[in-house]
Formats: sequence, C-alpha cells, structure tokens
Amino acid sequence: MTEDQNEKPPVFSTWGKWYWFVMFVLAAQIVVYFLITNSFR
Amino acid sequence: MNSIDWIILFVTLALIVTYGTLKGRGSKNIDGYLLGNKSLPWWNVCLSIMATQASAITFLSTPGQAYEDGMRFLQFYFGLPLAMVILSVTAVPLYHKLKVYTAYEYLETRFDLKTRSLAAFFFLMLRGLSVGITIYAPSLILSTILDWNINLTTIFIGSLVMIYTVTGGTKAVSMTQKYQLTIIMAGMIIAGLTAFYKLPKDISFAEAFQLAGIMGKMNLVDVSFDLTERYNIWSGLIGGLFLFMSYFGADQSQVGRYLGGKSVTESRLGLLFNGLLKVPMQFIILYIGILVFVFYQFHQAPVFHNQSLKDKAMQTEHAMAISALESEYNQVFANKRDEAENLIDAIRKDDPMLIEQSRKTFESIQASEKQIRSKVKEQIATALPGSNTLDKDYVFITFVMAYLPHGLIGLLMAVVFMAAMSSTASELNALASTTTVDIYKRSIKKDGDDYHYVKSSKWFTAGWAIFGMLFASIANQAENLIQFVNIVGSIFYGTILGIFLSAFYLKYIKSNAIFFAAIVAESIIVYCYFFTEVAFLLYNIIGCLVVVVLGFIFQFIENQKTKKAS
Repeated sequence: MTEDQNEKPPVFSTWGKWYWFVMFVLAAQIVVYFLITNSFR
Repeated sequence: MNSIDWIILFVTLALIVTYGTLKGRGSKNIDGYLLGNKSLPWWNVCLSIMATQASAITFLSTPGQAYEDGMRFLQFYFGLPLAMVILSVTAVPLYHKLKVYTAYEYLETRFDLKTRSLAAFFFLMLRGLSVGITIYAPSLILSTILDWNINLTTIFIGSLVMIYTVTGGTKAVSMTQKYQLTIIMAGMIIAGLTAFYKLPKDISFAEAFQLAGIMGKMNLVDVSFDLTERYNIWSGLIGGLFLFMSYFGADQSQVGRYLGGKSVTESRLGLLFNGLLKVPMQFIILYIGILVFVFYQFHQAPVFHNQSLKDKAMQTEHAMAISALESEYNQVFANKRDEAENLIDAIRKDDPMLIEQSRKTFESIQASEKQIRSKVKEQIATALPGSNTLDKDYVFITFVMAYLPHGLIGLLMAVVFMAAMSSTASELNALASTTTVDIYKRSIKKDGDDYHYVKSSKWFTAGWAIFGMLFASIANQAENLIQFVNIVGSIFYGTILGIFLSAFYLKYIKSNAIFFAAIVAESIIVYCYFFTEVAFLLYNIIGCLVVVVLGFIFQFIENQKTKKAS
C-alpha cells in the first residue's frame, strides 16, 4: 500500500474497509457480551 | 516468595533494563531521541500503545474490580475502537504531514503560541500528577505484599525506568514495551488458567460462567440510561469515545508512540489493531477476576485481603474481636461452599425452581459474609486510624501469592513491575518531549543545537522521574486507584479534546476565542468535580462541549467587535 492510497478519503477506500471492519468487530463484541449478560444471570 | 521467585523477578527486570539501555543507545539528534527516527513497524506501534495504556494498576485493580463489582467495567472501553477509527482518519495523517514532535506543536500552526502553551501546560499538569500515581499505586501494593518500605519500592521502580528512558529516549521505551507486554499477557493468562484449574475438578468453563452469572457478576452490558451511573453502555460509548479521543489524540504519552511509526500506514495500523485487541484484552483481565471469585466460592477467601494491614490490627486490643469475626466468617464459608455445590447441581439439572431457590440461599449467605467483612474493616479502621480498609486492589495479588506455584509468583511479580515500568516510561518520555519542545525550545532557549536539546531532554526525563517519585511518596490513596487515575484524566481531557476538535474541524474558531473558552471550560469541570455528583466520564463530554460552544460564542463576539471597529 502506498502513501498515496492513504490520502484517499472515501468511505469505501482500502482504509475505509479497515475502519468499517474495526467498528463491525466492536458491534459484534457488544452483541456477544449482551447475550452473555442475558444468558448468564 | 522463595529464591526461585526472586531470581525470576530480578533476572526479568535486569534483562529488560539492559535491553532497553543497549537498544536505545546512540540517539545523538532530537529526531532519534524523541521520535526514535520514525522507525517502528505497525505491530510494535500497537504493542507500545497497549503497554503504555496498561499500567500496573490495570493488572492489580481490574481483577479486583470484577471480583467485587462484576464485569460491567468492560463497557468503559467500548468507545475506544471508535476513537481509533476517528483518529486514524484525522490526527494521524495530519501529525505526520506537519512532522511534529508533539501534539501541541500542531496547535501553534492552527491557533497561536498561547493556546499551544496552555494545552501543553494542561498536559504537564495531568501527566505530571499521574506519573506519580502510576509509580505510587503499584509501590503501595508491592511494598505491602513484599514487606518492603514504600519509599524504597517507589525509588526502585522509578530508578529502573529512569535508567533506560533517560539513556535511550523513545526508541528504548518502544523496544522494551513489546517484550513487557508479551510477558504481562503471558503471566496474566497463566494466572487465569491456574485459577480455573484450581476449581473443583468437575466444574467446566461454562459452569464457572453460569455460577458467576447467577451471582450477578456477568453484568457485561447495562443498557439503562442513567447519567449518574459510572459504567453502562452509553457512558462507555459516548464518554469513553471522548476520553479515548483525548487520550490517544491529544495526550503526548500516546501520540509519541504512534509518531514513532515508520509511516502513516504503520501508525494507523498500530492504532486500529489496538481498537481490535483492547476490549478482548480487558475482557480477559476482568474474567480472571471472575475466576478468582468462583475459586473463592470453593476455597476459603481471606476475611480481609490486605493481610499486612490485618496483621498490624492484630497487634492491637482489637485482635480478639477480629479473631471472633474471622471464626464466624469461616463458619459462613462452610455453608457457602455447600450451597455453591448445590447451585452447581441445580445448574446441571437445569431446574429453574431449584436454581432460584439455591440462588436465594446463596444471596443471604453472601449478605452475611459481606456484613462480617464490613465489621472486620470497621475494627481495622478503629484499630489503625487513618488506614485505608478498601482491599479490592489486593484481591488478585493475594490470590497469586497464596495459590500460584513458586516460579509463577516471581513471574507475576515481574508482570506488575513490567506494567508499572512500561506506562511510566511512556509518561516520562512524553513529559520530557513536551517540556523540551513546547516550553524550553519554543519559549526559553530557541537557538540551541541538536546536541543541546538531546541533553536537555535527558535532564527533563530525569527531572520528571524524580518529581514522580517525590509525588508518589507523598500521595494519599484514593477510593480506588484505577478510578482516581481516570478521574484526574477526565478533569483535563475534555478541555484538551475541545481545543483539538476545534483545531481539526472548526475553522471558524480562532486563537483568542479558543484560549478563553478553554480556561472557562476547565473552571467549570473543576467546579463539577468538587460540587456536583456528575459521573466523571461525563467531564470529558462537558469539557469538550463547553470549549466548542464558548469558542463559537467568543469568536462571534470578537467578529462583531471587529466589524463595529471597522
């Protein structure tokens, strides 16, 4: 990946995909933690 | 601790300090000393960021937090991945493009010198104080556990860090942190597994989960909206987002870590991987506390986890009363263990009625146990006036000392020292960078050469280390150490974040407006801390919003005045 690609601002650029991935992992974790909270009480 | 533990502890510490000193040698210019010549790959940036954030308090206090209060503390970190994304989009490319040494340097380009100096001053205030706490908190606990003098423990930790941080600067800090974090995580996972394997043989991992859940400890997500509640999903996502935006975007101890990345790509990936790994890492640390909790349902827990303080109280006329309470506690434990086994049986039979019945009995046993513990604490407080009877920071380390095999005890002690050293090193390095670049080089001695500034940075690093040690030796313990550090952070972070957000996104706001808005915002936060019940995580939002809103208002007034004058 070159530095030029880093400059691309659009949401679905290579970096955009990384950002969505990080947020998706967070959302998935929150869902799992929510399920754990409700399953083990 | 026996000789094997001591050998493991001292060999690990000696290796790290020697490695850091050797690796960091030869930084003759300011780029090398303060930025490590921008040579770090993304994974090293990530480990360095994580090691900086995870102080000894994290490893001592977090399992104790889960033991007492369940896992809801995890929600505090939910805003972190979002902050990593936002900073990767905004701050990282900007800092790299402007080739800054510190985050505050950018503020002069955007606003003016006084705003840069004010932000640098706020940073020096909050980090200067917290470096003392970062050394003090583990020193207090380690001195109690190892029976060392607290001042000597403080000097020991501070001096070890000072050796390689002064010699090697940023490079030494980052290079040592990757090994420190590896040792820390390995040690913690081993401790967690030991707690699990020490449970009665027939209890599975899932049953340990269920048992903890029934006892109200698996409270990972709380969706209720309550502004005064410290930990729920909203305070975590919103308050945490603001706090971590400030911490990673405007706190030099973190900015300094990713400024050392080889390129924008390496710095970004370092931050994003931190966003991916941080929440699971905290989950593991909290779950270790839960395992210790489950373990103590089947093994006798100490009536008071700070054994050393209890021993001192036993030297007084309150010894009889404490012994009587301890016998009562032991009796209650016998009932509790029987009931824990009944509860496990009920879980296996999957009988809701039986589980409910067993839970109720269990809760009443827990209530009497809690009552006895409170009475013991009262006795200790009366016997030793002024002593701190909060013992949850001792839960994990006392478990380690009592139940881990020799060798592992030494390793876990090394973990605590490593964690204290890694975060202290970053803080000292950041304090020295800010003092040198934003204050000394900018406003005091502007015409020095590279050699002079490297030498000054070394002196500032040593100076801040000594200040930290002095502060540590006079600090008084807060309600809970980890929370105190977070509260101190929140008091200043909101304002600093407000300044940076305005700098990044609000071109309308200019230098004078932002400067006075920041001063008013900080006064409001200090007022909230002393005179209101507002949850401390919200200080970040309040501080930030006040800076932005007042910035707009002040700028509007200034523009009107300029118009009238012209």
